[in-house]
Amino acid sequence: MIVAGRRIQLEARLVTPKWLAFVVPVVSIVVALVIGAVFLLATGHAPLRAYADLLDNGYTSFYGITDTLGLATPLICTGLAAAFAFRMNLYNIGEEGQLYLGMIGGAWAGIAIAGSLPKVLAIPTVLLAGAAAGALWVAVPAFLRARLGTSEIVSTLLLNYVALNLVNYLIFGSRGFFRDPTTSFPQGRTVEPSVRLGALSFFTDKRTNTYPTLFIAALLAVALYWLIKRSNYGYETAVFADSPSTARYAGMNAMWLQSSVLLVSGAIAGVGGAMYVIGPAGKVDPGLLQIGLGYAGIVVAALARYNFLAVILTAVLFAGLRVGGSALQASSDPVPIAIAVVLQGAVLLLALGGEIFRRNRLRVVKVVTA
Amino acid sequence: MGVTAAALEARGVTKRFPGVVANDHVSFDVRRGEVHTLLGENGAGKSTLASILCGLYRPDEGSLWRNGGELRLSSPRAGLANGIAMVHQHFRLVDRFTVAENVVLGRRNLPFVLSAARLEDEVRAVADQFGLPLDPRAIVGELSAGERQRVEIVKALYQGADVLLLDEPTALLAPPEVEKLFVTVRAMVAAGKSIVFVSHKLAEVVDISDRITVMRGGKVTGSVARGEADARRLAELMVGREIHLDRRRARRDVGDVLLSVSQLHLERDGVEVLHDVNFDVRAGEIVGIAGVAGNGQRDIAEVVAGILVPSDGGVTVCGHPTTGSGARGTRRAGLSYVPEDRLGTGLAPSLSIVDNLVLTRDRGFIVDRDTARSDALRYIDELEIKTPGPDTPTRKLSGGNAQKVLLARELVAMSGARVLVVSSPTRGLDVGAVEAVHELLDTARAEGRAILLISEDLEEVLTLADRVLVLYRGRIVHDSPGVDDDVEAIGRAMAGLVA
Amino acid sequence: MNANVWLLTFSDALSIATTLILASLGAILTERSGVINLGVEGMLLMGAVSGFLVADSTGNLWLALFVAVLVGVVLATVHAALTVSLRSNQIVSGLAMVIFGTGLANFLGKPVEGRPRPVVILDVDFGPLSDIPFIGPVVFGHDIFTYLTWVLAAALSFYLHRTRPGLVLRATGDAPATVDAQGVSVTRIRYVHTIAGGALMCFAGAWFMFARGVAWNQAATTNGIGWIALALVVFASWRPLRAIIGAVLFGFSLQVPFTLQSQQIRILPPEIVAMFPYLVTLAVLVVLSTPRARRLLGAPKMLGQPFVRDER
Repeated sequence: MIVAGRRIQLEARLVTPKWLAFVVPVVSIVVALVIGAVFLLATGHAPLRAYADLLDNGYTSFYGITDTLGLATPLICTGLAAAFAFRMNLYNIGEEGQLYLGMIGGAWAGIAIAGSLPKVLAIPTVLLAGAAAGALWVAVPAFLRARLGTSEIVSTLLLNYVALNLVNYLIFGSRGFFRDPTTSFPQGRTVEPSVRLGALSFFTDKRTNTYPTLFIAALLAVALYWLIKRSNYGYETAVFADSPSTARYAGMNAMWLQSSVLLVSGAIAGVGGAMYVIGPAGKVDPGLLQIGLGYAGIVVAALARYNFLAVILTAVLFAGLRVGGSALQASSDPVPIAIAVVLQGAVLLLALGGEIFRRNRLRVVKVVTA
Repeated sequence: MGVTAAALEARGVTKRFPGVVANDHVSFDVRRGEVHTLLGENGAGKSTLASILCGLYRPDEGSLWRNGGELRLSSPRAGLANGIAMVHQHFRLVDRFTVAENVVLGRRNLPFVLSAARLEDEVRAVADQFGLPLDPRAIVGELSAGERQRVEIVKALYQGADVLLLDEPTALLAPPEVEKLFVTVRAMVAAGKSIVFVSHKLAEVVDISDRITVMRGGKVTGSVARGEADARRLAELMVGREIHLDRRRARRDVGDVLLSVSQLHLERDGVEVLHDVNFDVRAGEIVGIAGVAGNGQRDIAEVVAGILVPSDGGVTVCGHPTTGSGARGTRRAGLSYVPEDRLGTGLAPSLSIVDNLVLTRDRGFIVDRDTARSDALRYIDELEIKTPGPDTPTRKLSGGNAQKVLLARELVAMSGARVLVVSSPTRGLDVGAVEAVHELLDTARAEGRAILLISEDLEEVLTLADRVLVLYRGRIVHDSPGVDDDVEAIGRAMAGLVA
Repeated sequence: MNANVWLLTFSDALSIATTLILASLGAILTERSGVINLGVEGMLLMGAVSGFLVADSTGNLWLALFVAVLVGVVLATVHAALTVSLRSNQIVSGLAMVIFGTGLANFLGKPVEGRPRPVVILDVDFGPLSDIPFIGPVVFGHDIFTYLTWVLAAALSFYLHRTRPGLVLRATGDAPATVDAQGVSVTRIRYVHTIAGGALMCFAGAWFMFARGVAWNQAATTNGIGWIALALVVFASWRPLRAIIGAVLFGFSLQVPFTLQSQQIRILPPEIVAMFPYLVTLAVLVVLSTPRARRLLGAPKMLGQPFVRDER
C-alpha cells in the first residue's frame, strides 16, 4: 500500500534486542486489557473494578491462587504437548481428544490394574497408561502424515470429536466398564484409592482445588526442557525444525523424527488427562469436556513461544484469567465470564502481531514510481 | 545489404551487483528469424544479460533497442507487452491446471467467463502453428520435463512474443527431447521469431545456432556465425586463457586407493542424472571434478557421501563398501563431506557454532557440548574465525567465516576422516578467505588424505587438483592422466564436445 | 418406521446443512487463495450474537444480517492482516480468532441469554407445492436463504472454474510465485477472498440464529459446526458443489441421532452414530492422499504458507 508516495516496509533486523522478548508479551497484555476495558465500558461495567476483582479472584486471594493452580495443572500439560509439536511445525490440534483419551486410559489403569500393584507403582502406572492412550490417539494422524502426507491439522481435529463422543458414550451411552456400578446415575466408576492424591491444603485447614499433580506437571516441563536442551533427541529435533535439509545432510531420519514428535506430543496431553483422574476427578468425568483445555493449550504454547519453562507461566496466567473470570460472573456486578476468554484471545492476537516487531523493523520508505 | 534493425538489441549494457560487475559494456543483438546463442559458463553474465533483455533487471548503463526504437522495460510484464518473453530454466507452471489453463493464465485481457473449449482451441491453434504437439487438456503435473517446456513456450507464443529467450533450455531435457525442442525452434524461426538461447552446452547448440556469442567474466569475448563456428576456439573463449597453459605439477607420492566409485548410475523421476561414473581417489591426492553447474555435481557428491542411494553401482570408502549405509555409515567408514550450500545444508543457520560442530559427530544419548565448546574456541583462534563468540548463530557469520566453521568441523576435527568430499568450497568468498581454504586443502593433502574436489570454478580445480575429471550431463567425459593438463580439452569437454 | 419422520429428518438436515454450506463456502474461498482460517467457529458465534443484538434492539432482520456480515469483514481483515501482511503463523492466528470470537460472543450475549430470537426467518410459502408427498417438505419447505445458498454454491463453483478471476484465484493458492510473476497482486487476492470468506462465515452464524436457533444460548447455538465446516472443505476437495453433498451428509448424520431417539430406535448408541461424520471424513482424507488425487483434488499447494517474493 502506497500512501502519499511513501510505503511502510518491514525490514529484517540484524540484531534482536533481548528486551523485545519481554516487551512484546507485556505490551500485548496491556493492550488486551485496554481492548477488554472498551468492551466492558460499552456494556455498562466498570473496567477498573472488574480488573481488580479479576486480579483478586484469579491470582491474589487464597482460593484464587489455588483454583488457578488447579486449573493450570492440565493446562500445563496440553501447553507442553502443543509446544513440543508446534516448534517442529507439526500442528497437533488434537490435544483435546488426546486429553480425554488420557483420562480414559488413566482411569482404566486405575480401575483394572492399580489394585494389584504396590502403591508406589500405582500412580506412575496410571500416568503411563494415560500417556499411552494419548499417544495412541495421535498415532493414526501421525501414520497418515508419514505414509500418505495427509495434513495432521484436520485429522487430529476430527479425532477430537470422536474422542468427545467416546467419553459421552462411555458414561451416558453405555453401562460398561467405566460406569459406576453402584448407581444408575450416569457417572464414572471411581478408581482405586491408591492412585488418588488428596488436594493440597498449604498448611491451612481449607479445602483447595490444587493437587500434587501440579508438581508433576511442573517437573514434566523441566524434564522436557532438559530433554530438548541436552539430549540427542532434542538436538536432532532442533536441527530438523531449523533446517530439514541440514538434517538430511547429517543423516537424520525425518520420518522418524516427525512421527515420534507427534506421538510424544499426544502422550504429554494424555498425561494431563491421567492427572485429572489422579487429582480432582478420580474417574472418567465428562465435566472435563466443558473447559476446552486442549485448544487453550495451543494458545498457552504460542504465547510462551514454545519454550517449555515459559509454558508454566503462561498456563498459570491463562488459568487465572479463567478462574477470575468465573468469579466475576458471580459477583455483585456480574461480568460475563467470557471476558476472560476475550482477554485470552486478544492477548494472543496481539502477541502474534507483535512478534513481527521482534524480527523486523518498521521503515517508512519513499517510493519512486518509474 | 540494407541494414534491418535488429529485433532486439542491447547496446553497451552494464549491470552491477554488490561486489561484481555482471555485465560490462555488453552489446548483443538478435535478428528476426534467427537463433542467436549466448554461450558461457555460470557466472559469465549471460543470465544477467538475458534478464535485462526481457525486463527482469534494469541496466545501470546502456540501452535497449527494439526494431530500431529505444526501449525501456520496467518489468517482465512490460517486456511481454513488447513481445519479449523469457522461458526460465525452472518452469513456473501450476501443476493442477490443464495445459490450456496454464497457457492462458498470463493473458491480461481474458474474458470474464472462460469457455474451456474455446481456450483449448486457441491453445491448440498456437501449438499446431509451430509444430508443438500438445494436448491442451492434459494436466501439467503429469507431463514430462520436455512437455512442460513446450507448455512454457506455447505460453510465451500465445501472449504474442516475437522474441523468446530460453534459459538453459536443454539442461533438464533428455537427448530425444532436445531433438524435439529443436524441431520447435526451427518452426518458430521459420515464422520469423527471434530466439536467444542462453546455454553452456556448446555441443548441443552449435548446430541450431545462426550466431554464437561467447561471454566470460561479464564481457563479450567473441562472436561467430554459423559455419565459422570452430568448436575449439569457442571452448577457448568460454573457458578463457588466463590459466597457465603450461601447468606442470610436481609428481606426488600417492598412496592407496581410499575412495572408489564404480559404475554409478542414478535415476530420478525416470530421468538418468548420473551415468556410469567411475573413478578412484588415492591418499595424498586431490581429484577435481570440473564442469558447469547443473550437470550432476550435487548428485555425485551426495551419492558418494551416502545421502543418496544410487540406482546402480557402488561406493567404497577405505576399503569398506558404503553403498546404502546412509550418511552416518559412510561417515563412520572415514568420509567427510563439505556441501556447497553452506548455510542451508552444511550448517543449521539458527544454531550456534558449538551446536553445529556436533552435527556430524557420533553424539550418544546426551550431547557433549563441553568438548565442542573448547573445540570451538580453539578453531576460532586457529582459523581466525571472526565471530562474537562460540554461541553465535551461524547465520550471522559472513560467508567466509561460516565456511571456516564448516571446514573446521569436517576437516580439522575429523582427523579420522581419510576421505574428504568438498563441493564448491570457495563460492562467494573474498580473496583472503579463498586462500585460507586452499591452504587447508593443501595441508589435508599433505597429511595423506584423499580429497574429491567438485567445483564449478575451473581455475580452482586446475590450481588444486592433481587429476581433473570433467562432468557433463552426469557423465565423466574427460579424465586427465595426471601431470599435464590439456586445458583446451577440458574446456571442450565442459561444453559437451567430446572426441 | 414412519416415512414422514424420515422425510422430516431429511428436511431438517438440509436446513442445518445451510449453515455448513455457507461456512464452508467461506472457508473454500479463503483457502483457495492460500490462507487457512481456522477461526470459523468464532466467526459463526460472532455473526450470531451481533445479528441477535441488532435484531433485538431494532427488530429489523435485514439490518441484523447486514451488521453480521460487517462483523465478519472486520474479523477477517484482522486475520488477513496478521497472516498475509505480517506473515504470522496462520494456524495460531485462526485458533486465536476462535477463542477471541467465542469469548466475545459469549460476553456480548450474556445480557440476552435465554431470550428467544426476536425475529424469525420464515419458510417460503409455496402453497400447494409443499403438500406434494415426499418431494414437498424436502424441496419446498425451506426459507429463502437456503435456496439462495444453493444458488450461491453454484455461482461460486462457476466463479472458481469458469471465470478468469477464479482461474487466478486457484493459481494463487497453488503457485503464488507464478501469479506474482504476471504482475498480479497476491496480497490483494488473499485479502479479498479471506474477507469475503469471513463475511460468509458470519452470515452463516446469523442465519442459523434466526432460522434454526431457538434462543440465545451459546452452547446450543453452533456446537462445533464451525470445525465441521473446516473438515467439510477437505471432504469437498475445495469444490463448492461438493460442499453441498458433504453438508447434507453431515447434516443428516447430525440429525439422525435425534430422530432415532425420538422414535425410540436404538440400532447403535447415539454417541457412536455421532462419530460417523468425522470418521467418514477421515476416510476421505486417506483416499485423497494418493499423488494423483492430491494433485487434482487436494489442498491448494501453498495453503498456509506466507508468500514472500524473492527481491531482485
